[in-house]
Amino acid sequence: MMSRKVLNLRLGYLARRWASTDPLNIQNEKLQAYLESLRQEYYAVRVNAAGNSKSYARLAQLEGVVSALEQRRVLERQITSAKDMEAEKDEDMRELMREENEVYVDLLGKQDQALLQELLTLSDDEMYPALIFGLNAGAGGQEAMLFAQELYEMYTGFFEHMGWEWEEFASEITDIGGLRHASLMVSGEDAFRWLRHEAGVHRVQRVPATEKSGRMHTSTASITVIPRPADIHVHIAEKDLKIETKRASGAGGQHVNTTDSAVRIVHLPTGLAVEAQSERSQLKNRELAMKRLRSRLVQQQLESAEASKMATKKAQQGSLNRNEKIRTYNFVQDRITDHRIQGGTMHNLDGFLKGGDQLCGLIEKLQLEHRKERLKELLDTWEPPKEAIKEN
Amino acid sequence: MLRQLTRSMGLTSRLLRQVNYGTNAPAGTHIPVTKALEIGQWEEKLKAAGVEDTKFNVKCIVSHVLKRKFNLVPDSYDQLQLNPGQLADFERFLEARCARMPLQHIIGEWDFMDLTLKTSPSVFIPRPETEEFVRLVIENYKNAKHVDLLEVGCGSGAMSLSMLHSLPQVEATAIERSKAATVLAAENAKMLGLLNRFEVHNHTMEEDKYMPEVLKDKKYDLIISNPPYVKTEEFQFLHPEVVVYENLNALDGGSDGLRVARLVFDLACRHLRPGGKLWLELGNEHPPLVKTIMNLKYEGRLKFVASYNDQYQRERFVQIEKV
Repeated sequence: MMSRKVLNLRLGYLARRWASTDPLNIQNEKLQAYLESLRQEYYAVRVNAAGNSKSYARLAQLEGVVSALEQRRVLERQITSAKDMEAEKDEDMRELMREENEVYVDLLGKQDQALLQELLTLSDDEMYPALIFGLNAGAGGQEAMLFAQELYEMYTGFFEHMGWEWEEFASEITDIGGLRHASLMVSGEDAFRWLRHEAGVHRVQRVPATEKSGRMHTSTASITVIPRPADIHVHIAEKDLKIETKRASGAGGQHVNTTDSAVRIVHLPTGLAVEAQSERSQLKNRELAMKRLRSRLVQQQLESAEASKMATKKAQQGSLNRNEKIRTYNFVQDRITDHRIQGGTMHNLDGFLKGGDQLCGLIEKLQLEHRKERLKELLDTWEPPKEAIKEN
Repeated sequence: MLRQLTRSMGLTSRLLRQVNYGTNAPAGTHIPVTKALEIGQWEEKLKAAGVEDTKFNVKCIVSHVLKRKFNLVPDSYDQLQLNPGQLADFERFLEARCARMPLQHIIGEWDFMDLTLKTSPSVFIPRPETEEFVRLVIENYKNAKHVDLLEVGCGSGAMSLSMLHSLPQVEATAIERSKAATVLAAENAKMLGLLNRFEVHNHTMEEDKYMPEVLKDKKYDLIISNPPYVKTEEFQFLHPEVVVYENLNALDGGSDGLRVARLVFDLACRHLRPGGKLWLELGNEHPPLVKTIMNLKYEGRLKFVASYNDQYQRERFVQIEKV
């Protein structure tokens, strides 16, 4: 039993040595130096932070990594070195030390995971309060539109699953229940970080409901994710609005009992018209229509404003290769394959298309992959600051 | 025509009471909503019965039968299925709607501003314009520190409860002549968790006995009311939903539509604090008339402040101040 423990320790050591060539292993020297530089930055910013909101934002970003790093160092110090072990004469005492070390090594491994997690989150630094989610049927005619509708349901289900607020401000539906395109606004602090990985071309392979001869078809639908910067504002003046309801004339009030709750608002300066009828209360529908009008105006502004070009460019970089096929939904084999990651194949299409845990899990994997890439790039280009070298 | 409608009301209320879950049908047979609509030709039947906006009516009933929130029911029903029990309900409700029973009575609840309120067959159903009226009052009081509110004739409680829901600084008292409405308003308040700031008294306003005995010395900052304002001569023009199914006491405003409003004026003289306001929702020819009445009969007691249009651009709402 003893020898197995020793073997374990030795193997662990070997594993660690091997891992130190992996740039994302905590043992890696460059990563260690990078972490130390973050820690120093944290304290430097903290000293000079007083009243500067940018500094506070940076502090909040760094806090997780720094505290995880410091906890790790405390743990490291708890481990009794091999030299001290040898110096100890008492056999019982040595056994105790060994046991203790095992516990600490275990804890240290966990702490490394936590630290890496924090570091990865830090590397994903783009924050947008909201985004515009576009869904377009691609090649494949009616079948592509049916697929787009299924994706629409999957993603709206996913938004609900994640607790994000969303609203639709444009969509075009075909008579057999397909979807030509839809634009949704999704608000949620981390919505962009998740959904950016969904941008691209989604491909479906199946025998369509519209197909009589039973041939398998391949169709596509594409998704775009455009972050909405926080600093876009629109002002809507009451006098610019024409508000219409179903009942244009005739008696009102107690004389009739109509349930006319649908509302249509026309924004006179731009000619934009929006409708809302999803609520039973007319006032609620009016509020909803106003919200829609607002987001339509925002979208207009986004599309024209210089700021949006920047944002879109950034988004494209973030979500890499917008026009590349990113995922295949194969109904015949009941399989989903994401082409961007290793082991990206899953089964149970029905469950996946609900937009719940399964989709969530896949995006989590993509997110991790993306963050690792980002961190690697960052470390590749990162140079230790001069002072740090001097200290060494 | 009226008699025929009254008869059909009798019939439909019997239909509504009858619980038939179609036990003869084989268990587990589901039928798509679209098919049920097609077989029954319900849209055509509703149109023939003179129901406007049939799609909306159908959607309300679908949402009620399937016990789904209205705004979560998709616009196309292909994916929705009815089991035999639900199908029986579905047809019963549509039958009732064809007999012009108000939609709000059929489904037993209705949304008013942010609230969902229970409805009851003998209690007046708040109208969309009343939402606009309440929004206007709330807008005027959102910065007030503390407001003692009185509502005259609260019906289901829609106005008071919306005020309480939106403004935490409001405490509301209501009087209501109908026992059923008094009970319903209290029930709605309880359901919405607003009972700690809301009390309702069953009381019929009369000359020199405007308020119930316990409230006879109470003063308020704000009185709101949507009193009956339909002129007696207009009763022949009312929609069947209104004249057959709704409590006419909640509508009858006498020969000029202001019989009850006049009582409210007198009540306001006695129970408003100086500077307190009376807000009323009335018919569209009433505000100028109210202005004249204020100037002629209430000088030194009440002052006409302003009138406002509803969303259909009809002059409907008035604000009056206690001098």
